[in-house]
Amino acid sequence: MAILEEPIKEVKTVKNYIGGEWVESKGDLVDVVNPATCKTIAKVPISTSEELNKAVEAAKDAFPEWRKTPPPARSRLLFRLKELLEENFEEVSRIQTQEHGKTIDESRGETRRGIENVEVACGIPTLMQGYYSEDVASGIDEWVIPTPLGVFGIIGPFNFPWMIPLWSAPYAVATGNCIVVKPSSEVPLSQDRLAELVEEAGFPPGVWNVVHGGRSVVSAMLDHPEIEGITFVGSTPTGRDVVYKRCGETGKRVIAQCGAKNFMTIMPDCNVDRTIASMMTSFFGNAGQRCLSAANCVIVGEDAAFYNMFVEKVVAMASKIRVGCGLDESVQMGPLRDRTKKERVMAYIEQGIKDGAKVLLDGRSPEIVGGYPEACFLGATILKDVDPNSPVGSEEIFGPVMSIMRVRDLDEAIEIANGNPFGNGHSIFTTSGKHARHFQYSIESGNVGINIGIVAPMAFFPFSGMKDSFFGTLHTQGREAIRFFTESKVVIQRWF
Amino acid sequence: MRLHTASEGITLAKKLENDSAKYYEEEAERLPEVTELFHAFAKENKRNVTYIERTYYGVITDAIEASYCFDLDPSGYLLDLQFPDSEDIRVTLIEKSLEIEKLIITFYTEAAEQSESLMADIPRAFVLIAKKRRRRVCQLEGLLAELQSCTYELNSRC
Repeated sequence: MAILEEPIKEVKTVKNYIGGEWVESKGDLVDVVNPATCKTIAKVPISTSEELNKAVEAAKDAFPEWRKTPPPARSRLLFRLKELLEENFEEVSRIQTQEHGKTIDESRGETRRGIENVEVACGIPTLMQGYYSEDVASGIDEWVIPTPLGVFGIIGPFNFPWMIPLWSAPYAVATGNCIVVKPSSEVPLSQDRLAELVEEAGFPPGVWNVVHGGRSVVSAMLDHPEIEGITFVGSTPTGRDVVYKRCGETGKRVIAQCGAKNFMTIMPDCNVDRTIASMMTSFFGNAGQRCLSAANCVIVGEDAAFYNMFVEKVVAMASKIRVGCGLDESVQMGPLRDRTKKERVMAYIEQGIKDGAKVLLDGRSPEIVGGYPEACFLGATILKDVDPNSPVGSEEIFGPVMSIMRVRDLDEAIEIANGNPFGNGHSIFTTSGKHARHFQYSIESGNVGINIGIVAPMAFFPFSGMKDSFFGTLHTQGREAIRFFTESKVVIQRWF
Repeated sequence: MRLHTASEGITLAKKLENDSAKYYEEEAERLPEVTELFHAFAKENKRNVTYIERTYYGVITDAIEASYCFDLDPSGYLLDLQFPDSEDIRVTLIEKSLEIEKLIITFYTEAAEQSESLMADIPRAFVLIAKKRRRRVCQLEGLLAELQSCTYELNSRC
């Protein structure tokens, strides 16, 4: 089938977008490499803290007027942005594939998920309404007004370069705040293109700023006194020990969405064929680089015949996954984002084998469709008899590795999952409503799937998370994001 | 090579629509007495492409099994779009259009069944298009019967 055309044809030097201007950074440039082809597609700056300060200054300057812009007018700009995103849907999807490696279906899915957040934020005239009580005491009325706070920082990860900043950004600006987005320096091009479309939509200068860079920019954001709050998606050590901690110290609001180790519970009464197709997507989609990817497959019951049949079918399907460049429409799994990430996953596989796991499918030397360099590619790997307390069974691998475990009953499956420090996206596959309800009730997970392998909430629901997967109070997306980006001003009134 | 991904399935659906639209446009020129019918088919094919694209781009997300939703053999849906060289070109052309329609219906039906519980909305769109095409089959069969009876009458008179 067709190999789609690459949208990025020349090496572009990415600029910061500050105060409505495209500004060249004084920082060092680093290469952005397409992990499928190993070709450099852009150069991104590691911006300086002065450049971050300028972006915050621009956002702060834009805030008073933007705050006064009526919500219906802000909504109209978001509607215009939504139109532009639809018009450029295919281009931005291919950019994601080119810079990240994911398949074109995955990128289009990511684009859609991002746009859905803009759509929800378009409802800001009603989403931002306060509430009113007449006669809280005789002749005294009281009401609440959600008000914007000022400048917010949005820190994006490498695995969803387009969508994840959009879990926050549309809500932040819709509520009247101004933002500074810091995309991952590994995948800056999606946010660069988004900023161009923001500019084209007509957002006033300074409302939406983008500063590229690495840890030094993150650090400057966390310490900046004019930034009111931060949304962050990334690893648990950084989210908990750096972002959450520093935001606490500097008095910022924070949403820190972090790592995961998701357990998929397979009941013997499940619809086997549908379940296995879902498993392929959940374990191996995005090459496993997703905080909602399933990692541990827990097969319930003592029926050896079911266990053997199920495992055999899973291995058979996983062994047929076509690995290659995501712009080839027939490819079902793209590369890891870079060589270091691949090596990290390989190290986990080796550790798992040392710890006694048996390899049912070894993806360490995959067949690559199209003859691309093997640098960042891994195939699907399936290990069985994995100890849930071993590193491979308990830590986030962030790669296409399935660890199979076997338990006596559903309670044991829930106990194992709840024993893990993460609680992001556990799921169950069953045809029993009773089992599903018991699982949903007992499992400690912010997002729960029932016959759904990737438990990604729609934009009008919060993207939740529990335990070591989330640090903060409110979540991104939907009404919780509106609350996060606003302060409740309560007015109590009496007239003499 | 079999097709498995949503992107491949959608590309094939669009190809079948576009190729058959082109064929019908030419057929409309060759059969002036039924030109409106075939122009209408071609126009509807273009609307189907828009509908398929809108459905796919509207629902594609990482929560659905987009990489594993089909198991289609594209060689089973190869349309023969060569114009026949025949004495009774009208009958042959209508028969050929019927074959095209039936093959495309088979594609949509099989693709919808395979992706039924894996792809939100897309199977429903495929079923709806197959349903519209079944109406075309009735129209074409009616037209064919009419033509064949005319031919029979002409032959009887001879």
